Amino acid sequence: MIRFKQIEERLKKEAKILLESGEVTVVLAYGKGYDEKHPMPYAAKKIADVEDLVFNEYCNHNMARYLVRYPQGTKIAIAVKAADSRAVVQLIQEEKVKRDDLVLLGIPIHGMKDPRTGEVIDGKTTCGMYTPVLYDVLLNDDVHGHKISPYDVLAKYEAMDKDERWEFWKKELDKCIRCYACRKACPMCYCDPCFIDQSKPKWADKAPQSPGNMMYHLTRFHHLAGRCVDCGECSRACPVNIPLYLFHKKVAKECEEMFHQKAGMSIEDKPVLIDFRVEDSDKILE
Amino acid sequence: MSFEPKILGIACNWCTYTGADLAGTTRLEYPQNVRVVRVMCSSRINPSFIFRAFQLGADGVLVGGCHPGDCHYNTGNLYARRRLATAKKILEFAGIEPGRFRVEWISASEGNKFAEVVEEFTNQIKNLGPQMKLKIQEP
Repeated sequence: MIRFKQIEERLKKEAKILLESGEVTVVLAYGKGYDEKHPMPYAAKKIADVEDLVFNEYCNHNMARYLVRYPQGTKIAIAVKAADSRAVVQLIQEEKVKRDDLVLLGIPIHGMKDPRTGEVIDGKTTCGMYTPVLYDVLLNDDVHGHKISPYDVLAKYEAMDKDERWEFWKKELDKCIRCYACRKACPMCYCDPCFIDQSKPKWADKAPQSPGNMMYHLTRFHHLAGRCVDCGECSRACPVNIPLYLFHKKVAKECEEMFHQKAGMSIEDKPVLIDFRVEDSDKILE
Repeated sequence: MSFEPKILGIACNWCTYTGADLAGTTRLEYPQNVRVVRVMCSSRINPSFIFRAFQLGADGVLVGGCHPGDCHYNTGNLYARRRLATAKKILEFAGIEPGRFRVEWISASEGNKFAEVVEEFTNQIKNLGPQMKLKIQEP
């Protein structure tokens, strides 16, 4: 049983100490929403703001999304769950943020729930890890490092015939209304402008119709190859419930098999697609 | 009428394109289904080019580059290898036949290999039939 109240108290305590000492100028964590099921991403900038912080089983948001919105050099404390910490590591690898500017308040956790369905999301839409890979302080002593396999949910789709799989993805991606919530929620989507907003070259139609949707999503899957940390925020943000996490998981799995490296595990690594090994096999192209 | 596939060939300037040139100057016969686009290096190829080609009506995409280690820019094709391999896995999981996309390393002196690869690939695409999944249907 996770004691959420206790984590919340410790989060407030740490945030207060950090803001009081001036070590950080902003604490990224969770604040009250319109009800208990919908906490909101929250940036505490004053000591008085700390009282508004909350933490419960619906705090799924990946706060690493908000790191890139601050100018480089801003001292930031951030509450991270396992997948979120991987996103931070990945951002450090890509030199978007500096390790020295960050204080990571790690929250080892499991049993987080999707507010829409009320289901536990561990390993289903997330990476299935419990303990953050990078942290300065741990706010919970009850949970220890074991994890569940994130790729089990793929078995059903991998077993499908290719035509069946095409029908499945066509049906799902045709639902897309191009609100770009997946892009907004994704901690790794920080390009400005995004390829889909460019008009020269015009990569795809902007109308929410099949061809443009397909181009947008396929390219987005490729842009996140080897970088996606499997936090599942894209699918939770999606208003029409497209299971984007499935595709991202599959690409992450293939990258892990081909390049023997998982996204966001160590700040020493380089993202796999901006790196190469001479001994990479040509078999990966078959 | 038999099905004549449209194939987009993307060839690197230094190896495959010169190899194709050699195939031409030595009067080798190979199918005319490939439309070759020259790029300066295989790492110039944005995987979106491939998705877009399929959308705009290509039945197959053939990418040619220098052999690994022989890149004119030393490491370009080593990056391209990883990138294109990932693109292929994405096409596969989306349900497109992976056989429609092929990467071959063809050097400037391998005119024969170029002709062989094009012939083999064209036959392969003929067997797979027209690519209708990603192709944009005119209303």
